[in-house]
Amino acid sequence: MAGIALKNLVKSFGAYTAVSGVSLDIRDGEFLIMVGPSGCGKTTTLNMISGLETPTSGEISIGDTVVNDLEPGERGLGMVFQDLALFPHMTVFENIAFGLRVRKIPAAEIAKRVSAAAETMHIKPLLTKLPKQCSGGESQRVALARTIVTNPAVFLMDEPLSSLDAKLRVDMRTELKRLHERLKATFIYVTHDQAEAMTMADRIVVMSKGRIEQLGTPLEIYNQPATQFVAGFFGMPTMNFVEGVVEIGAAGACFRGAGLEQALPASLSTNLYGRNVVLGVRSEHVVIDGAASTPGTARLLQPLGDATLVHFDAGEGKSLVAKVAPSTEIAPGSPLKFRFAPAHCHLFDAASGQRRT
Amino acid sequence: MNTDTTITAEAARERKLRRQRVRRVGRHAILLAWMSVVVFPIFWMISTSFKDAGEWVAWPPHWLPNQPTLLNYAQIFAFGALDPTLSRQATEQAFTIWKGLGDATLVCTTASLLALLLGTFLAYAISRFKVGGKYFRHTILMIRMIPPIVVAISILIYYAIIIPYATTALLSVRISLFDTYVGLVLIYAVTTLPFVIWMMLTFIDEVPYTLEHAARLMGAGRIAVIRRIVLPLVASGMVVTFLFVFILNWAEFLLALTLTHPEVTTLTVLLNKFQSAAEGRLYGPQAAIGTIVTIPVVVLGLLIQKHLVKGFSFGTIRK
Repeated sequence: MAGIALKNLVKSFGAYTAVSGVSLDIRDGEFLIMVGPSGCGKTTTLNMISGLETPTSGEISIGDTVVNDLEPGERGLGMVFQDLALFPHMTVFENIAFGLRVRKIPAAEIAKRVSAAAETMHIKPLLTKLPKQCSGGESQRVALARTIVTNPAVFLMDEPLSSLDAKLRVDMRTELKRLHERLKATFIYVTHDQAEAMTMADRIVVMSKGRIEQLGTPLEIYNQPATQFVAGFFGMPTMNFVEGVVEIGAAGACFRGAGLEQALPASLSTNLYGRNVVLGVRSEHVVIDGAASTPGTARLLQPLGDATLVHFDAGEGKSLVAKVAPSTEIAPGSPLKFRFAPAHCHLFDAASGQRRT
Repeated sequence: MNTDTTITAEAARERKLRRQRVRRVGRHAILLAWMSVVVFPIFWMISTSFKDAGEWVAWPPHWLPNQPTLLNYAQIFAFGALDPTLSRQATEQAFTIWKGLGDATLVCTTASLLALLLGTFLAYAISRFKVGGKYFRHTILMIRMIPPIVVAISILIYYAIIIPYATTALLSVRISLFDTYVGLVLIYAVTTLPFVIWMMLTFIDEVPYTLEHAARLMGAGRIAVIRRIVLPLVASGMVVTFLFVFILNWAEFLLALTLTHPEVTTLTVLLNKFQSAAEGRLYGPQAAIGTIVTIPVVVLGLLIQKHLVKGFSFGTIRK
């Protein structure tokens, strides 16, 4: 049993509060990813779980045990660091064996377990090498082998893939996901890369300014972002945002702003009428076709291969992005007509950023 | 047109090569001139060590000894009582190198090791726990800016007066640090400690925090982390620092002169004692000792060079 519970966790450094009141239940065997921009408190939270940072207040439990006062080494965790932290003066074998040696495990047992871990990570030929003789991907595997060799119930990972090149990073994502499925351990993974979070996580915690913005499955986060921040953080390209007000038109509630008018679902709460809101719509839900009513001017085309991004002026200086089929005949400078798919429009409160639909 | 550009290109290359040659010759000329200034005293010392008394201060100077002799070396390396030829009617007892060499080696090695041990742990504390605040590391080096003579007298008063009186009054035993190995070792360790801290800080700062964090997460305690991770990674740095501090102590004169006599005698102090009623200052034996004393410094210097490269290039850790 290695579920983890964080209760109202706070960490301050002098006057600066890095984490302000985080409460979270991490399920046993879950792949949980904490994501957010730099300085959002995700690494600090991870370090508090690991014991490398002491919480200013709040409680951390692993299983049924409150671990606030346990040393990092007593918590039964394994951690992979952003810079991997391989010991440069030790061979790969010694690196992997380190955790077993400090636990005073017999030499024969160490050799067996190191060998098994190296087998799992496909690094057996590297065992006699020094870390500096390993490539980026190999070092990554060594760091993972060093962590799995002690059989921790919980794996903590602090942006472990950030030092790899783009191709290798994508490969390692698949490998980490497989490793998680095989080990069935709890993974807590910190990253600022939303694509990593989307592809690997069972659940995602989105953090900003020391607080949890939203907790949910990748698709919940993508399709029902709880705040404008979450909506903007996930998805490539960034969601289109238009500021405006909710008004009552001839055909019911509608959004009006930046020269645009968008019909809203009839089910919309009437107390939103007259409120300042931000309308959010992803690029794939901006439809460009002849049947659309609103005119715009194409400015820039970005072919992605499987789709093409069209950046266009929507009037009043508002620039929007639409994702269209790669076969599009739109040319920069040409006029176009666009509309938003009504079922995929999100409304956020202009002041608080909270979701309103 | 094509040929024109080819010719121009060749001429340009010619001009560039000529300019490089002139620069190279000029650079070497300046370096040679500077080297002669630096090397001359050493040459003069070695030359004098092979001269007999009459040639030490001869005018015009004898660049090389007219009658080379090993007498100076015979004197300083002599065992037992010296015969009249070697003793040259020295004002103090006739000196050989052995006492000074032994004392200097003992004192410098002990003091340097002590400073290294203390300094490494202090540097670790300053680097990792920010002991003493942000600017402490600079303050430490400033301590070294104080001229030794400023502290020499007050230390002398402590060693020779305050400590003996205090111990007599409090413990009824007279303990004096004046003219003792312990006294000299302590003051040498203390005066070189800032250097050790300063140098070890640069090495320890280079060891990434995350290595220690990783080790701690794997269950290693603080001491184990220092012993198995930090110390092996700064070992080269410790060698460099030890040699550097050893040379400082080896060449120290003022404190040894002030705080010892007649029991403990380091080489630099010994050197100063070569006087003779008949011949005045004994430049020959002094030069011979100077030559002998310089050898370990040069050897250690070369060793440092080798280790410095190793010491500073270990930072191949992926950041």
